[in-house]
Amino acid sequence: MAGFSYKHGILFAPMAISMMAYAADYLNESQAQKILFPEADEFIKKPITLSEAQLDEIKDLSGVKQRNKSPLIWAAKKKGKTLGLFFIDEVVGKHEFITYAVAISPEGLIQGVEIMSYRETHGGEVREASWRKNLKGKKLSDPFKLDVDVPNITGATLSCRNVMDGVKRLLAIQKVLGNG
Amino acid sequence: MRALAILGLIVFQVLVSVAHADENLFGYIKGAETLPKNSWEIYQFLTSRTDKGKGTYSALDSKTEIEYGVTDRLTSGLSLKMQSVKSQGLLLDAYIPRDIDSGISPSGIEADLKYNFLSPAKDDIGLSTYFSLGHIWRDPHSGQEKDATQAELELLIQKYFMEGQMIGVVNLGMESTYAQRSAIKDLPAGFEWPIHPEMEIALKAGAALSYRFVANWFFGGEFLYETEYETQVGQERWSTFLGPSLHYGSEKWWMTLTYFPQLQGGGSIYAGQTDTRLQLIERTKQEIRLKLGFNF
Repeated sequence: MAGFSYKHGILFAPMAISMMAYAADYLNESQAQKILFPEADEFIKKPITLSEAQLDEIKDLSGVKQRNKSPLIWAAKKKGKTLGLFFIDEVVGKHEFITYAVAISPEGLIQGVEIMSYRETHGGEVREASWRKNLKGKKLSDPFKLDVDVPNITGATLSCRNVMDGVKRLLAIQKVLGNG
Repeated sequence: MRALAILGLIVFQVLVSVAHADENLFGYIKGAETLPKNSWEIYQFLTSRTDKGKGTYSALDSKTEIEYGVTDRLTSGLSLKMQSVKSQGLLLDAYIPRDIDSGISPSGIEADLKYNFLSPAKDDIGLSTYFSLGHIWRDPHSGQEKDATQAELELLIQKYFMEGQMIGVVNLGMESTYAQRSAIKDLPAGFEWPIHPEMEIALKAGAALSYRFVANWFFGGEFLYETEYETQVGQERWSTFLGPSLHYGSEKWWMTLTYFPQLQGGGSIYAGQTDTRLQLIERTKQEIRLKLGFNF
């Protein structure tokens, strides 16, 4: 092909360099559980497979599609009593998935959000307690709108929106499944 | 070869000296996002343009740009252009007056502004405007001396699909150019080489779609239609390019590689042009563009 020549080798050289990866994992599962439910003495994993009807209901309630039919959910217990549900979820970041954990009370209120991994150029502030506290106490009926009830972080708008929408989606899952 | 070695060195130095990244998903079509306030970005573009259907023709364009987020909505940029043109056995009356092997040299400067009205992540659709003002002193086609001042205005539309896993972009733009060539001694007998000032207006429309198929990697396609109008002849030429783009974006830096073959073209053709479906006077049969970006 006339268009390709040895000169184009220079254009492809950085491909090899691009294989370098950057990782920023901040919390593992048990660390996140301990932070979000410090008083719990037991976490019981709930093996759940959502039906099509439940997936539709989650979409209707949250406005966001639940992609995974088997969300990762644990019931946090203390002396046999359920303190709430602990979720690990992923949302689309600009380059990679953002993994985060959420605690939801039996009453359907967000008790806390922890970012477990975040690998984006901008917007590391979503890890900061000052941003995450805006999600604490939220319920499904709240607006969940950037710059309305949740502040935006410049340069990380997509990450903010997807984490915020993800939290609302988990509230919808909690409602669809019931509180226990 | 020396030119390529220099460019390789520039790319290498940028790679090792700067440590952060943002992203351009496409080689030719612009997204609507702006830099956060007070952040900086360095870009390096390399564009290879080859094959005019006669003789041998290859050109390499380099654009090194630094951008700064003036506010969250306004990004400014300054760039230095360099180019090399190598052409043999290709004499195009009024366009390419003789064989040339120019080597790489500075060819122009440009300043640009991008203002964001709607954020693609926060609003339903992203909308920005882009304005650039540039000056070149080398003709990108013939490699000969030519002073040209160019102003470009574009409307940039961007939409996130699937929570941002798929991204669509549309560009609409207009570029005005005021140009004047320098006289050349010892032209072939009867060769036309106008040196009076020329005014051109180019219109462009482009669209692109990209999908993140695994973490950090996007694959997509982009399309660009351009048409140029000149004072004396009206529509002088038009072309459409369509090709795939591969993009890698990480926390620290990004790269985009686009192969952009000419799909169809028209308007003026040169004497003896065999492939009359394409515009080959001011375009080539294909382009390949590599873009590298680093944030800090």
